[in-house]
Amino acid sequence: MTSLLPGTRPPRSAYRGPVTLEPLSGPGAASSRARERHALSLRQVDWALAGSVLSLCIIGSVLIASATRQYQLDHHLNPYAYLTKHLITVLVGAVLAVFVARFDFRLVRAYTPVLYLASLAGLAAVIAVGSTINGARSWIVLPAGFQLQPSELAKLALVVGLALILGRPPNAGETGVAATPGGRELVQALLLAAVPLVLVMMQPDFGTAMVLIVMVVGVLAVSGAPARWVSLLVASGVGFGAAILKFHLLKPYQEARLTEFLKHSSVHTSSTGYNVQQALVANAHGGLLGRGLFAGSQTQGQFVPEQKTDFVFTVAGEELGFLGCAVIIILLGIVLWRSLSIAQRACDRFGTLVCVGVVIWFTFQILINIGMTLGIMPVTGLPLPFISYGGTAMFANLVAVGLVENVRLRAP
Amino acid sequence: MSAIPTRRYRSHPRLRLNLLRVIVLAALGVLLLRLWSLQVLEHGRYQVAAEGNRVRQVVSPAPRGAIVDDRGNALAVNRTALVITIDRSVLARQADSGRGVYTRLAKVLHKSATELIIKTRLCTRHISKPCWNGSPYQPIPVATDVAPPVALAIIEHPERFPGVSADTQAVRVYPHGTLAAHELGYTGPVSQAQLTDKNGGYTANDTVGLAGIESTYDKALRGTAGVKKLAVDRFGRVSGELSAAAAKPGDNVVLALDGGVQNLLEQSLVAALANAQKHGKPATTGSGVVLDWHTGQVVAMASVPTYDPSVFTGGISSANYAALTGPSSNDPLISRAFQSTLAPGSTFKPVSLSSAVASGADLNGNYACPGAIQIGNQIFHNFEGESGGFMSLHEAIVMSCDVIFDQFAYNDWLSDGGLRNGSGPYAPPAEIFTKMAKSYGFGRDTGIDLPAESSGWVIDRVTQQNIWKQMKTTYCARAKTGYPNDPDPAHAALLQRYASEACTDGYLYNGGAATMFGIGQGQYLSVSPLQLALAYAAVANGGTVFHPRVAKALVSQDGKQVTKIGPAVASHVPVNPDVLQYIRDAMLDVTRRGTASGAFAGFPLNQIPIAGKTGTAEVEGHNDTSWFASFSSQYVVVISLPNTGQGALFAAPVARQVYEGIYGVNRPALLPTPVTALPKVIKP
Repeated sequence: MTSLLPGTRPPRSAYRGPVTLEPLSGPGAASSRARERHALSLRQVDWALAGSVLSLCIIGSVLIASATRQYQLDHHLNPYAYLTKHLITVLVGAVLAVFVARFDFRLVRAYTPVLYLASLAGLAAVIAVGSTINGARSWIVLPAGFQLQPSELAKLALVVGLALILGRPPNAGETGVAATPGGRELVQALLLAAVPLVLVMMQPDFGTAMVLIVMVVGVLAVSGAPARWVSLLVASGVGFGAAILKFHLLKPYQEARLTEFLKHSSVHTSSTGYNVQQALVANAHGGLLGRGLFAGSQTQGQFVPEQKTDFVFTVAGEELGFLGCAVIIILLGIVLWRSLSIAQRACDRFGTLVCVGVVIWFTFQILINIGMTLGIMPVTGLPLPFISYGGTAMFANLVAVGLVENVRLRAP
Repeated sequence: MSAIPTRRYRSHPRLRLNLLRVIVLAALGVLLLRLWSLQVLEHGRYQVAAEGNRVRQVVSPAPRGAIVDDRGNALAVNRTALVITIDRSVLARQADSGRGVYTRLAKVLHKSATELIIKTRLCTRHISKPCWNGSPYQPIPVATDVAPPVALAIIEHPERFPGVSADTQAVRVYPHGTLAAHELGYTGPVSQAQLTDKNGGYTANDTVGLAGIESTYDKALRGTAGVKKLAVDRFGRVSGELSAAAAKPGDNVVLALDGGVQNLLEQSLVAALANAQKHGKPATTGSGVVLDWHTGQVVAMASVPTYDPSVFTGGISSANYAALTGPSSNDPLISRAFQSTLAPGSTFKPVSLSSAVASGADLNGNYACPGAIQIGNQIFHNFEGESGGFMSLHEAIVMSCDVIFDQFAYNDWLSDGGLRNGSGPYAPPAEIFTKMAKSYGFGRDTGIDLPAESSGWVIDRVTQQNIWKQMKTTYCARAKTGYPNDPDPAHAALLQRYASEACTDGYLYNGGAATMFGIGQGQYLSVSPLQLALAYAAVANGGTVFHPRVAKALVSQDGKQVTKIGPAVASHVPVNPDVLQYIRDAMLDVTRRGTASGAFAGFPLNQIPIAGKTGTAEVEGHNDTSWFASFSSQYVVVISLPNTGQGALFAAPVARQVYEGIYGVNRPALLPTPVTALPKVIKP
């Protein structure tokens, strides 16, 4: 046997292959599911990935507690109300992730259209009845103080949708020579992304739109789409972005957010500039070792706006310093690295592309979110995976990790 | 077996996956690098911004020290006034940003809302005064000295006036009005220049001394403002106190100046001017100095006209300032006692006598005092052309013979080479007269503890050369063009003639001026009454020229710390004690049987001997300046009344009144001996 990947295990006899999808309600379904479950073992779980995610969630909880405690105290509220809510979110998200990880792999495929349509419905609903927070109509307010952000679910839906289309068994059949997506798959993938993209732009939520665009281009590129198509897509995307800025198609505040970081000046005039300035001050204030948890004057003085959500990294920046921040970035790196390893050894293209989609999604958000607090990326309302406060995003992130573990569990 | 993996792995684009790995690592690497640069390398640069974010200063001014006279009578104190203040941060939290409060407050205070808003806006580089240049966390005063009912109307309705409160604020007052105004000085708001001066220790909204004692001893009077450093959050809410330094009240300044003598001196000067005017003299100004000649301390010093320093408190209005400085104001802000100079006339003769003896004249010789002498082509008359025949120097002082002193000065000029000036194949000029004048303290600052004194001038040959070098272009231009703007053609012609002479002969040391130097006249000499008083103190005390002192001690508010301001010696005159004794003896006869005998007729000179010298200085285009310079066993009294007439007629009687007050002739004595102990309490 010629193994092209290092460390690949020989295929197990139980492996049934991705080529044929058995009818779910068929007579053989029950027995095959039983065999599948039997084959899953804790030994298969990628513990480095799971452990890193868990550590990030715990660190995030502490950072959120630090970012919100003083405000709550000032207003005579429960100082750990946000922490409690966040921990509940993490717990629910973890249960979801375990559930998704153990889910029958083929069922994921089967439910993909359902998830996709559900996220579209959510995005449509948010435009119809959503609440505007920070200039974007992105939230559906639910009873009991809960909010739903359908755009986070849309990212998840796009990940599995793209994987489904681009990871479809190649039409070459058993010979498997042409294992790259054809023109039909490409158009399908673009259409798949276009619908949520338009809905997200209508909110308008450019951060999420950017994530969707990067995801579709990235997954297409990795899926083996011809380089010229990918280049063309990237070029048209860049041209489109340039045109938006050139002809001032955005509202001034949106444009300011995108371009503020390019001005190398300590004097920021817009409110976005103020946010960035305060973020820079807080991060720099931390120095090498940080000011200590709950002891950062900029954080406890609430100088950084949106600190528990978009600017949560500045809490680490000020209170944990460079070392603490480096630990967070390394943990995020482990998550991405392990996910890519799982992608590489997935038993089929669908699994690979799910992992790839998740990695591109996370990487882009990490780069933009942390980069924004460091003044090298534009200010967009993208949360930091596993750390920012926000239920829907946390669910989406943990479910995505569940999917990656699912791929791992079924890898040869 | 091998078919399946082959097909599967073919479909995995490994290269692109590995590229994605590189991209992921690059993204994280960029973040780590930027993080290192921001948090470790640029840490210090942002430290200031972080501190500035969080620390706010609240300054509480220290109560300004009082100024009291030698007996503890308050001359400058603080009064508490009701001040209405606005707290910006409270108003900003109102739904309408405080607009309603401004409107309601404006109505109660009878001001316009706009005025209040302008007063409370924060000063920036682009917004200049009126604006608030203090901390935005400090209540901003918008109305000072409001009536108690107005203050009550505001503080009883906090719901209508959120963020508005009535505080008490110290306001500088001078309980005796104009008394010793030139010496006390005045206060005003700190200037931008002072705030910029890092070593000044000023904080915004400080009250600072701008003139007189208030200015000289400002640092001690001001004390140290209390500074509280508060930690605040983004919304300006105070989260804690980082440090607090209590205000240290300013020291009280105890003056050597005696309020009683000062008052007497001022009243006497005003009365003398009124008297002179009654006799048809156009006199409008006058001054007097009373020193303790043992120490150089200023017991009284007055100048008429004067002003009330209270008008400067809290910032003077432009109308008031114009009234004090305009062309028709007669410059009441300038003290004629130490901030302006003029020719001393015959009161200078004790100095001339010292010079004459130094240049070799026999102290016990007799000298001719004809009605006039001719020097060069000029004729120098004795005062009113009187001729006294031969007389001793003693008599020359007593009778004030001008010609004898003219002759001494002329001889000195001749022996220095006459017109000859500059360097050449001859001995350098001895210049005994100008050197002696300088040694008595003329032509230089006295070093008094008051700002902006005038040093006057004593012009010797070198100075004359330098002035001419600077001015000859102007002189020669004026010699040609004349003074076409002068409304009086005769005066213009005279000035043009002077300019013409100066253009051609200005480099020469003028014999006429050098001669008149001997009798305290001419363009080579100008003195302030204070300088003359110090010179007389030197004659009285055996030759010591003091730096005069108005203040004698700084006392902390609790009275425990005392900084004495001792006598300071400037120099000693190079005159033998027997010569000084000779001068004193001669001057004692001036009041007994000399030029001032009329003014001192009936004065108990046997109990209170007064040594004096009259002076009548001629001023071109004006009436004479009447001088009287004198001393008792304790004090020097110098009176100067420009534009009046003879010294014996106008100045001497004022000096007599001052002595009568001090020693209690036909009235209670004000200050027969100086008060040496420091006052224990401040008397209002």
